Amino acid sequence: MKKLMNAPADFVDQALDGLTLANPSLVRDGENGRVIRRAEGARKGKVGIASGGGSGHLPLFTGYVGKGLLDTCSIGNVFEGPNVGSCMDAIKLAHGGRGVLRLYGNYGGDRMNFDMAGEMLEDEIRTTTVLGTDDIASAAPEESQKRRGVAGIIYAYKIAGAKAETDADLDEVTEIAARAVSATRTIGVSLAPCQVPGSAKPTFTIGDDEIEMGMGIHGEPGIWRNKLKPADEIADEMLDRLLAEAPKNAGSEVSILVNGLGATPLEELFILYRRAAEKLGKSGLRIVQPLVGNYVTSMEMAGASISLCFLDDELKTLLAAPAYCPFWRVG
Amino acid sequence: MSDFGINEVKWAATVSARAMVGLEQELNDADAKLGDGDTGGMLARVIGALDGATIAADADLGAAFSTYARAAATATGSSLGTLFATALMTFAKETKGRSSAPITELGPMLGKARDTMMARGGAKLGDKTVLDGLDAVAAALEGISGGSDARNKAAAAALVALDEYRGKPNKIGRARMFADATIGMDDPGMLAFAKLCGALAQD
Repeated sequence: MKKLMNAPADFVDQALDGLTLANPSLVRDGENGRVIRRAEGARKGKVGIASGGGSGHLPLFTGYVGKGLLDTCSIGNVFEGPNVGSCMDAIKLAHGGRGVLRLYGNYGGDRMNFDMAGEMLEDEIRTTTVLGTDDIASAAPEESQKRRGVAGIIYAYKIAGAKAETDADLDEVTEIAARAVSATRTIGVSLAPCQVPGSAKPTFTIGDDEIEMGMGIHGEPGIWRNKLKPADEIADEMLDRLLAEAPKNAGSEVSILVNGLGATPLEELFILYRRAAEKLGKSGLRIVQPLVGNYVTSMEMAGASISLCFLDDELKTLLAAPAYCPFWRVG
Repeated sequence: MSDFGINEVKWAATVSARAMVGLEQELNDADAKLGDGDTGGMLARVIGALDGATIAADADLGAAFSTYARAAATATGSSLGTLFATALMTFAKETKGRSSAPITELGPMLGKARDTMMARGGAKLGDKTVLDGLDAVAAALEGISGGSDARNKAAAAALVALDEYRGKPNKIGRARMFADATIGMDDPGMLAFAKLCGALAQD
């Protein structure tokens, strides 16, 4: 696969340089420059929110640093978790005196490094953890705590970020983040692979006429692979799977994110959205704040994911609260 | 040789880094069947960082392992790489203040590393991970006091474990979702460990 890059080893750092040069609201910081923070720094008296993850998913993770969203984000190499030093830096730089929520996707490396970072800082900074676990294809419902975090984590960013801006305390911000995670479900489909810079091969192979349902954001195997079907059939199956796992206490309002994985045109995302919106309406659900676009990508992978965030009154209010980052503006 | 010191540790890093040149794609391919296909590239970078790390002239064995642990932890945040750094940190604690250690301690040291890695990562023995290879090698090194003997026994034990677990399902990580389909496949962490043990025995 062809890429616009220089040396593969420079891929992440040069992308971060460009990201911060183009967006003065973001600053590179930390010992190895692997933390993105708000330019104005941590606000005193506000609970901080630190996230982190591997590169290759922009706008996730670093792109969601901003007012009403994240305070800091540690960033690893492509598809690798951030190292322990950058996790420590992200926590310290997010700390405004009232503790820090560690909010990130449920992946082994990310978890180990954020855990170690929290342990190393436990005498200085109180931290809590909420893990994104929205990918319904990555574990059975009875093991939902083992699920991986994918595109739906941006709902937790937005909702917890809005709560933190109200000067809520750490426990309140943690509780709302956990509530946002437990209200969100995602499933993805993949049409074509991506390739890690420097790697000799794509992350997986798939026929030109095939689609894989439930594939993970790094190309982890999904639920089934078959011949490509019409978009409406794909949207129907994705929605059926998501709605079958709706929270027991779900109300009648839902936000939907139709997300592109990197190489899929917006037109195709809107074709999916059109059908999904129709289906949600028929299911008696009212759509609030729909999102369609490339919010969480996987390099040049072709495909899409659909996330549903089942809203209660507080989640709905916080989702609508003002927020700004280079890739998402609300209000 | 009945002891090992900094020179042996440096040698092991150099041999492993050299071996990774040929292993990188093989490990990426093995990982692509179960996960995201980056194990080879990640390990090549981490072991390269170890090989390139500068050990202070007055460092003891513990300080050398500590330098390697920091180099590994800085080079990656991946789960396997972080577990590798955790093992190196365990070695650093076990050898702190000593210029060398008896080879008879290698088995118990690997056993402690296995336990700290289990505590950090959450995997159990039998899940078909690098821990199962490590466990087999720790047992094989019990009472072994010669360097060459230890390397041969480690390589053989890691290979036996790899062969034994190939016919079992992966029980942790994303691969557990299609566990039956993983029967017949090598776990990439176990494969890497066996191949590197083999490289150390052959050199």
